[in-house]
Amino acid sequence: MNRNSRYAANYLFTAVVWSAVIICCALLCFLLSTIIWNGVYALSFKFLLSPASGFGANGGIIYQITGSILLIAVTAIISLPIALGVAIYKSEFLKSCRLQRLSNLLIYGLNGVPSVIFGIFGLIFFVNLLGAGISWFAGAIILAIMILPTIVLSTYQAINSIPTIYRESAQALGLDTWQIITRVLLPQGLDGAITGLLIGLARAIGETAPIMFVATAFSGVDIPDSLNGPITTLPTHILALAKQATDAQALQNAWGAGLVLLCLVMLLGFAALMGRIRLKTRWQ
Amino acid sequence: MASQELRTHAIDMSSVLRAKGNQKEHNETCIKIENLNLFYGDKQALHNINMEMPKKKVTAYIGPSGCGKSTLLRCINRMNDLVDSARIDGKILLDNENINDKAVNVAALRRRVGMVFQKPNPFPKSVFENVAYGLRIQGINGKRILEETVENALRGAALWDEVKDRINDNALGLSGGQQQRLVIARAIAIEPEVLLLDEPASALDPISTLKIEELINELKEKYTIIIVTHNMQQAARVSDYTAFMYMGELVEMGTTSQLFTNPGKKQTEDYITGRYG
Repeated sequence: MNRNSRYAANYLFTAVVWSAVIICCALLCFLLSTIIWNGVYALSFKFLLSPASGFGANGGIIYQITGSILLIAVTAIISLPIALGVAIYKSEFLKSCRLQRLSNLLIYGLNGVPSVIFGIFGLIFFVNLLGAGISWFAGAIILAIMILPTIVLSTYQAINSIPTIYRESAQALGLDTWQIITRVLLPQGLDGAITGLLIGLARAIGETAPIMFVATAFSGVDIPDSLNGPITTLPTHILALAKQATDAQALQNAWGAGLVLLCLVMLLGFAALMGRIRLKTRWQ
Repeated sequence: MASQELRTHAIDMSSVLRAKGNQKEHNETCIKIENLNLFYGDKQALHNINMEMPKKKVTAYIGPSGCGKSTLLRCINRMNDLVDSARIDGKILLDNENINDKAVNVAALRRRVGMVFQKPNPFPKSVFENVAYGLRIQGINGKRILEETVENALRGAALWDEVKDRINDNALGLSGGQQQRLVIARAIAIEPEVLLLDEPASALDPISTLKIEELINELKEKYTIIIVTHNMQQAARVSDYTAFMYMGELVEMGTTSQLFTNPGKKQTEDYITGRYG
């Protein structure tokens, strides 16, 4: 290849890469601006702080916001300790290469399951088999299972990135396995776990399919007073509103709820990004 | 030019060794290794090692890369337990107690046998917390006793004067040589009986190396020290006894002056005169 054609190929490649970036950014900007443009008219303190009425066409979304936050808070409480346990087991105790590969297969497999399958599983397992009826807590359990792989992988990577030399020097100082886990691995792994948790929660808060059969109802729901009973969330509310799209007021409220949900997701994503930056600078 | 430098080294070494030769020997055995074999999977890394290390003396392991000197060192506080494929048979007696015995508590053994690695590796914590680390994990948290022990350990590691004004600064801000002395302070804070040094100065500049060597000379008043080193001059300067290893076997062991001036085996002589390795 002569010099000119090498330059040409170089320019072409740069152009292709740049256009890919521009298409991505343009799509994102289009989506965000559409949601903000349409949603901002619905937003008001009254909308944010009052309960829905008339299937959401009137009133606000206060119980949808509290419902979504309660649901992912409980999801976090359920999934975090399990994920920490799995990640520590995988990095410290699972020595055989074959079992290591099997565990990867299972974790990535679980990560790839479509969310509606979790919903069907929840319906069959909790409602039909256990006879739990509609229960928001069952929804939190399903979401916890769904985001487990994200947290496990992120924690595992954080623990695995601790240089061997630190493990060895902790051992040489007479720490036993339990002390090494609690004093060396967990403090370091926790950043990774929190990052994974936030990414997982950002996904969970926007999910409709896994919880719509098991945990939610579309109207007449407030803050649940026991583990049983339905909850209402932002995404399921948006779904309900979108079904009444002929009503201008309902549609407006759907845009507003969409904007609020977007803000919550971006908040979680931003927090996760901060966590990741902290993680990167830790051992340098 | 180069040959002149070499000659100066040779003169230095011989005077050091003559001084060592005059020392009177009265020794109590601290560690005795009997018929030690170590395998990594099918590969045998140590072949039937037998040796004795006297109390409160410095023993150096020398030999070319891959000869098993670090592996042997890591047997003495059972760091090879971490390597899954490693299998050990034979005895290592520390004060007449076999440390390879199943009943031995490995964490407790490692508190008796401290270790310092090639690369300085303080934890990403303050200078104070690094030295206090080993005490805290034993549940010692009293402020008074921690402060006292940390100061003593840092003095013992010849570092106190350099860090006393920044005891709460992050330890990763210290120089490489200071970090290595900090790691030694961390190891001696829990008052071990034996200190294992795995090439402690090989990542350091000459002045820091000198300080570590001086420190080793002071530390042997209180501790039995075993040092692995690539540097034969260093072995000659700091050690009382030297073991020469080759291909996983102990070729020869003796007092440092005898091994360097009058080696018993041709192989040893070839190595210390620089014919290979």
